[in-house]
Amino acid sequence: MKPNLDNDAIKNNQSFFQWFKYKWSSDQLFSIAIALIIMIILQTLVLGFDYDSFGSWFQSWTNNWINILRNNAATAIVALGMTFVIMTGGIDLAVGSTLVVTGALSMMLLDTGTKGFLLAMGITGVPAFAITILVVLLFGYLLGSLIGVTITKGKVPPFIATLGAMMIFRSVTQHFMQGYNPKVPTEFLQIASFKIDNFMIMPIVYWAIIAFILYYVSKRTTFGRQIIAVGSNERAARLSGIHVEKVKLRVYALMGLLVSIAAIIQVSRIGSKDFSNAGRGMEMDAIAAAVVGGTNMMGGRGFILGTVYGMLIIAVMNNLLNLFGVPPFLREAFKGVIVIAAVLLQKKELTS
Amino acid sequence: MKIEMRNIRKYFGSNDVIKDVSFMLKGGEICALLGENGAGKSTLMNILGGVHQMDSGSIIVDGKEVAFNTPAQSQEAGIAFIHQELNLINDLPIYENMFLGRELKTKRGSLDLERMLQETRRIFTEMNVDLDPTMMVRNLDASYKQIIEICRAMMTNASFIIMDEPTTSLTDQEIERVFKMMKTLREHHVGIIFISHKLNEVMQVCDRYFVLRDGSLVAEGNVNEVNTNDLARFMVGHDVRTEPLNREKKIGREILRVEDLTNSHFFRDISFSIKEGEIVGFTGLLGDGRSELFQSIFGAEKISSGKIYLNGKEVKMTSTKQAIKEGIAYVPRNRKENAIIKDMDIIENASIVTWPAFSQNGTINRQKHKEIFEEQRKALRIKMGELTDSISSLSGGNQQKVILAKWLAAKPKLLILDNPTQGVDVGAKEDIYDIILKLTEENIAIVVLSSEANEIIRICDRAIVMYHGVIQGEVAGEEMNEHSIMRLATGGQLTFTKEG
Repeated sequence: MKPNLDNDAIKNNQSFFQWFKYKWSSDQLFSIAIALIIMIILQTLVLGFDYDSFGSWFQSWTNNWINILRNNAATAIVALGMTFVIMTGGIDLAVGSTLVVTGALSMMLLDTGTKGFLLAMGITGVPAFAITILVVLLFGYLLGSLIGVTITKGKVPPFIATLGAMMIFRSVTQHFMQGYNPKVPTEFLQIASFKIDNFMIMPIVYWAIIAFILYYVSKRTTFGRQIIAVGSNERAARLSGIHVEKVKLRVYALMGLLVSIAAIIQVSRIGSKDFSNAGRGMEMDAIAAAVVGGTNMMGGRGFILGTVYGMLIIAVMNNLLNLFGVPPFLREAFKGVIVIAAVLLQKKELTS
Repeated sequence: MKIEMRNIRKYFGSNDVIKDVSFMLKGGEICALLGENGAGKSTLMNILGGVHQMDSGSIIVDGKEVAFNTPAQSQEAGIAFIHQELNLINDLPIYENMFLGRELKTKRGSLDLERMLQETRRIFTEMNVDLDPTMMVRNLDASYKQIIEICRAMMTNASFIIMDEPTTSLTDQEIERVFKMMKTLREHHVGIIFISHKLNEVMQVCDRYFVLRDGSLVAEGNVNEVNTNDLARFMVGHDVRTEPLNREKKIGREILRVEDLTNSHFFRDISFSIKEGEIVGFTGLLGDGRSELFQSIFGAEKISSGKIYLNGKEVKMTSTKQAIKEGIAYVPRNRKENAIIKDMDIIENASIVTWPAFSQNGTINRQKHKEIFEEQRKALRIKMGELTDSISSLSGGNQQKVILAKWLAAKPKLLILDNPTQGVDVGAKEDIYDIILKLTEENIAIVVLSSEANEIIRICDRAIVMYHGVIQGEVAGEEMNEHSIMRLATGGQLTFTKEG
């Protein structure tokens, strides 16, 4: 979307205002970034400057941010996959339940108690961790592929297929895990809580790496661009020689893989799991982040960077509500307002 | 009952699409309105139906001058317009569809289903329609849907019915049913305007005919005084410029051969072959199955039986991806729905086919695509701004050239062009013809699917004419003229007597 208006103004660089107006109307991500910056400024102001020195203010500010980012890393990674799914014109409601299944699997494998699967086979320590990670990632990928096959081969609408999967995955997990309390070895927790320079930032690092890879995939690879083609005009994509079903299948498989990564991060961060509540509502948070980031629910348009911004906007907003002391039950309402406002704003841009 | 249109003129912008047309229809008469695509038939009827407003002229119903500013006013005057796309809701029963938009209500304001059902039964008996009104519209075949539309029109006490190509999607048996209905209407003194391309049908069911060409009324009279050849000649006219574009022909070995290809819905028993350096036209009227035939060869539709040979080897086409690997390119009809990806920019739309071919480990080689496209852009004379501008910023002709460019980048051996000049202005049209002729020098076989006989004659070496999913005949050389093509396309046979 690049309307040709104001072209001369940009060339002559007449004024900041005109440049701003042009960017605002031509670049989807620009307005989202501006919204984020405004929220960060607001948050900084609310945090206040009541400190002895700049150093202690900066430390407190940074700590607040690391907390925000770390707490949201798992959902943020899922949101990145969700962006691809929505870009194909689909949806994945099963991410929260997939997180629980894959999380439960990792804990069964790692358990240091009597039922520990790998322990029973005499495998412990780093080899056990490596095997666990590999198996869990593969399992997530398979679950995603299963959903993908249901959608592409079975022609079940994505909403229905993933709604069903959501119920099945969680229910089965809850049944088999009832009364079972696996213990995760403390060394495994290092995956998330390993400290760099005294900062616990590993989940943020994983998020950043995955975001970077997916950004590259979406911008530069055949697969990434085919996602846009499929979501924008499926028929034209097929008539251009794109294997539409294969693209969709791979997108859901990738989603499953990303969810299993998020599961490992969560397990290693908390070390335990509440199988009936973990990941509940995660699908909605992920969709919200993608939508706030400019992803079109009808498919075709979406930005990995936008979803990162979207996630941050929601996270900062939660932080602000916390700082303002807004009662917990009301916070969800603000999230809803932000999502609707974001879409209203984007719609206006598209018609102008 | 009588309806008259006098000296109607209509402009779209500076184009005069209806030039001083006068026209009369009496009750109890079936009148054919004939003309090629773009002759102005729909515009004229849309004026009568209140969809468009005329720029000058008058419409007189029963001696009274009327003005139709909305479709509702036209309906009030007793004119019903049955459009090609039927206005029925599949998931409602017949009797509820009959009252769509003017539902009967009880005193308390709920739907009076009982009375709607009775009314429907009454009209069905009157019109000799043997249908259960409680059936779902979804379960009806196309002819019954048409009949329901007609009954609905009768229910509003319409004295005149305009039917826009009602038979295009019907089988022969279904057509019979609709014709029987039309004859019943005639007995009820209803006047019918029947828009059709199929001249045989006109001979069979109509009393009078009107022929429009380029917005003017060129012929009218009684159907029993003419034959289909006359009608075809009226429609095409003598002054159409159809001189074939010449080129040096270098016909090589066979590229594509098809044997007894059948798809249960769209076509059957199709056999033909095409050699490199050849341009073969496929033409016919709506519903002839030519697009579906070539989409099947391209792997986008399924085949129920028959064989496809490429370069002498039999291939089973399972996907469009495979078809591209085999060297087939397909430029679809209806650019907007089938070819343009509006969320992508020009260079991406121009390279989508070759992404997999020019990529390393899945990363698209953008530099390579730019180089290829810059070459194409010059050769195809594409007028555009930046490579990263939206595809929607281009004119129709330039969009079509971009679509052509994406396929040429794949270096096909067989290029299928489906309505290549649809929605393209005259200048770009000639450009595209030029490109097509030049391409034959590169030893490609080219198939042009077109509904315009004129286009086929100008650029093709021979033309295969389809009718209702079968090959009705093939013409080449002298014999490839609009008259013979029209005759085959309307279901007639070639006779070897030359006319005029």
